Amino acid sequence: MSAARDLVRVLGLWRARGGWLTLGAITAGASALAGLALLALAGNGVAQGLATGTLAAGAASLVLLRPLILIRPLLRWAERMATHEATFRALADTRTWFFRRLAERLPAGPGLTRSGDLLGRLVTDVESLDGLYLRALVPMAAAGAVVVAVAAILGSLSPVLAAIVAVPLALALLLPVLVAPFAGRAAAAAAGATGTLRAEAVEPLTALEDILAAGAGPRALARVEGAAEAMDRERRRLSRAGSLGAATGTLLTQGALLGALAWGLAGGAAGAVVVALFLVLAASDALGALPRAGAALALAGAGARRLLEAADTPVPVPDPPSPATPSGHAIAVRGLRFAWGPDRAPVFENLSLDLPEGGRIALLGPSGAGKSTLAALLLKLAAPQEGVITLGGVDYASLTADAVRSRIACLTQEATLFDDTVAANLRLAAPDAPEAALWEALERARIAELVRALPEGLETRCGEAGARFSGGQARRIALARALLSPASVIILDEPTAGLDAATERAFLETLDTALGGRSAILITHRLIGVERPTRILRLAGGQALPAMS
Amino acid sequence: MPPILLGLAGTGCGVAQAWLLSSILCGLLGLGGGGWPALAGAAGLALLQIALGVAQETAASRAGEAARATLRHRILSRLLAETPSSRPAGEGAALVVDRVEAMDGYFARWIPAAALAVTAPLVVALCAAAVDTLSGIILLAAGLLVPIGMAVSGIGASVASRRQFDALQRLSGRFLDRMRGLPTLVLFRRQDAEARALDAAAQELRRRTMRVLRLAFLSTGALELVAAAVLGCLAWRHGILAAAGHPVPQAALFCLLLVPGFFAPFRAFSVAYHERMSAQGAASALAPILDGPEPAGLKLEEVPPSVTLVVDHLSHRPDPARPMAVEDVSFRVLPGETLVLSGPSGAGKSTILKLLMGFAAPEAGRIALNGRDALALLPAERRRLIAYLPQRPVLLRDTIRENIRLARPEADDAAVEAAAAAAQVTSFTAALPQGLDTLVGEGGHGLSGGQRLRVALARAFLRDAPLVLLDEPTAHLDPATEALVLDSLRRLCTGRTAVIASHSAALRARFPRVLELREGRVVPQRRAAAP
Repeated sequence: MSAARDLVRVLGLWRARGGWLTLGAITAGASALAGLALLALAGNGVAQGLATGTLAAGAASLVLLRPLILIRPLLRWAERMATHEATFRALADTRTWFFRRLAERLPAGPGLTRSGDLLGRLVTDVESLDGLYLRALVPMAAAGAVVVAVAAILGSLSPVLAAIVAVPLALALLLPVLVAPFAGRAAAAAAGATGTLRAEAVEPLTALEDILAAGAGPRALARVEGAAEAMDRERRRLSRAGSLGAATGTLLTQGALLGALAWGLAGGAAGAVVVALFLVLAASDALGALPRAGAALALAGAGARRLLEAADTPVPVPDPPSPATPSGHAIAVRGLRFAWGPDRAPVFENLSLDLPEGGRIALLGPSGAGKSTLAALLLKLAAPQEGVITLGGVDYASLTADAVRSRIACLTQEATLFDDTVAANLRLAAPDAPEAALWEALERARIAELVRALPEGLETRCGEAGARFSGGQARRIALARALLSPASVIILDEPTAGLDAATERAFLETLDTALGGRSAILITHRLIGVERPTRILRLAGGQALPAMS
Repeated sequence: MPPILLGLAGTGCGVAQAWLLSSILCGLLGLGGGGWPALAGAAGLALLQIALGVAQETAASRAGEAARATLRHRILSRLLAETPSSRPAGEGAALVVDRVEAMDGYFARWIPAAALAVTAPLVVALCAAAVDTLSGIILLAAGLLVPIGMAVSGIGASVASRRQFDALQRLSGRFLDRMRGLPTLVLFRRQDAEARALDAAAQELRRRTMRVLRLAFLSTGALELVAAAVLGCLAWRHGILAAAGHPVPQAALFCLLLVPGFFAPFRAFSVAYHERMSAQGAASALAPILDGPEPAGLKLEEVPPSVTLVVDHLSHRPDPARPMAVEDVSFRVLPGETLVLSGPSGAGKSTILKLLMGFAAPEAGRIALNGRDALALLPAERRRLIAYLPQRPVLLRDTIRENIRLARPEADDAAVEAAAAAAQVTSFTAALPQGLDTLVGEGGHGLSGGQRLRVALARAFLRDAPLVLLDEPTAHLDPATEALVLDSLRRLCTGRTAVIASHSAALRARFPRVLELREGRVVPQRRAAAP
């Protein structure tokens, strides 16, 4: 039962919310017991009155009834508030936990997993976990309290009757656990199909220009419809499992009800039968939610599996157990061998290079020569198969990724702007930077003029992935962000891509001030003659060779 | 209709069973009544009721499916016709998936539950009245009180529900945005801060949702209060009657047994009412998109072999708060000619290409293709004439081959391979073990910037359209590759009408006809005076 193991692990994540979770279960039990008492007292009062023909016999029951009329709705409201509060708190925790795990495990991005699918895991699958508590554990706790109470009350009247009534009810209590495996496969398929639908919907919308240009709109529509159809098919199977479970539940409570009456017809005490009848009637209200609990349990199990699957991918470059601190920020690379996968051709073979403090390397090479891969290795996003990289004389293997990235900043080709203000995007690099520093960085990246002209200035929102700006403008804001970073080494991967020749020249001419004495690696296709690097290297055949300048 | 009829039949079974049960009980209490035959009847009715329940549920979920499919089709068609990047993709996906799914409860459960909440309790109350008039009146009065209580608490819940949906949508958009930029967050060591911010957003969502639920649950509480009060009233009524020697003893037990069945439709209604509330929130977000004007325009009879493009005094302002992005731009490109749009970034090069593509409608000016007004054509029809390379091409999560084939789905492998060779794609796929069948991640993960661009360029080759619009076709390329791509661009543009936005000097050297732009305006040509 791997689904059970997953759910137990999810419960472990919720340990901090134990107080709220317990409170919710207790109010649910109390509210169910109040409902039971209400119907049982009413039935008993009337039946005793009928049997004896006096008010006195049933009066005690009927007097007790009055406070319950107010207590039951109050408990019911409190139950729903407490259980929902507990669920939302626990789910928020789960979402944050998942994001942190992904940041640790997928630092270089979602890769071949679609971000739409990841979003689905964060939103839908986390929400399906509410079924675990709200639709499975809470109703089971309430129904459990009711069944125990029924067994205890009837047990005091007649053990035989108690057995006739309580056994089918107890079996109904087991229904969620019995239904869950059947619903499990359908639930997993349904959750998967919903994820596919979301991914199919996100993809054409992210690539809208390309889709429209290719006239592929109808094709995208057809794919979404196909995914939706598959989802509905799986859901139908799931709801069939649910309604069959519900039918079984009704069968069991009806069995208890009719069993009690049969016991009475066979000569059992009439008073006890009346009590049993109304108890079963009230209990069926609490037990009615259980078959649904089975489907909810299955859905939660499937959601948990998908969440944990993504969260348990191995950490690409784990941090060392006892990290060292580098002294200085000179970088040395020796005998590096690296391939992105065992079946891929190696990008580097025996690569060596040196970046002394304050040095500036220009790294040239055709696209695909591994310039961006080198950046990934220097940022500890990947680990070399052979060879060492040292920072301040310390081997990367004994440094934490955080220690490396606090000393090395990078403008990658994929540098993204977030759907937030320009200021917030810049402050990613230096959270406490004053406004003057932001303007200075924008000035250096040659974009200050444009930002100043915007009506909202630094408070302008960038739009999703920087959509508010043109490609070149977004790139320069990302450049400003990299320049703002307090790191002592800065890697600029194609810093002038998307710039016109005049702006490019102006930026490179003032590179000295922009860098302010920091070491730098300038990754580029070509030099225009104003960069003044201390060394020029050309990447070719997996090695860095000194280039003729 | 069938779900409602099935539901009513179920209620009928319940009433009949209650009558049989009360008669058995009376018999047991020594007041005379049914015995074993009544018990057998009750058992039969229980089985019938179970079967009716299963049938009702199946019928209801079928109805929901059909309604959602229609809605989803309409909403996605509209989204695909919107201006690209006018709406975050995460928000669009939430509309197509979450908001449409939120309508499910409306069709599958709300409509049948609402009908049953009126009819089923009425049937039960009338049956009660037949045996004891006052009991029937008590039930009827309670039945009238329930909707009043629900309506009072429901009005506030409706407003709050819409607010809660906005919060959920914002949270989804934010997760997708941050997830896409995760590498950037990690490089700046901001993943923890971002996790905290996401947590704060989730807490905010919780507070909003609880505000909705506090009111919504009040209506559940009201229903429970009425149910408990009815039970109390009936118990007292029949307790007192019993004390005076009950005229119809069986009626007393029958009325009490009816209470759970009387309130069951209301409970279902209350659950469905919450679904209607969220459906209403979803509908209010979907409606403006569905109610927008249908994209109108003429259809193209056939794709002409060549196109003369005339742009006449074109002006466009994408954002009323900002200056004109394109102002009074005019040019003409004949078949076989290539025009390079040049100028610093932000000069309006891309905007002109987007206006030509029909991604946005110009504020003023005219675009003519072969002398006919292009703006009168449906945008999708106009695009049939055009091969377009966007500035930031996006690759889909598929093989390189299928990514290229997107431009012309009916193209055979040979045509795809020819396009790949022409755009210099094969020069890097040759080194990959699976060649053109290599899978790329969403957004082109696994390929370098220059490689992605060449795949997108191969689409333009495969498209084989008379008008070619290219936005920065050689950005991110090293000089050697750029030279190769320029050669193939030359071939692509030969015999076609082409407009290229670029500030590459090498490209301008190959294509001498240049239109200089600055701040959205055409810079007067100096070269025009030169020999």
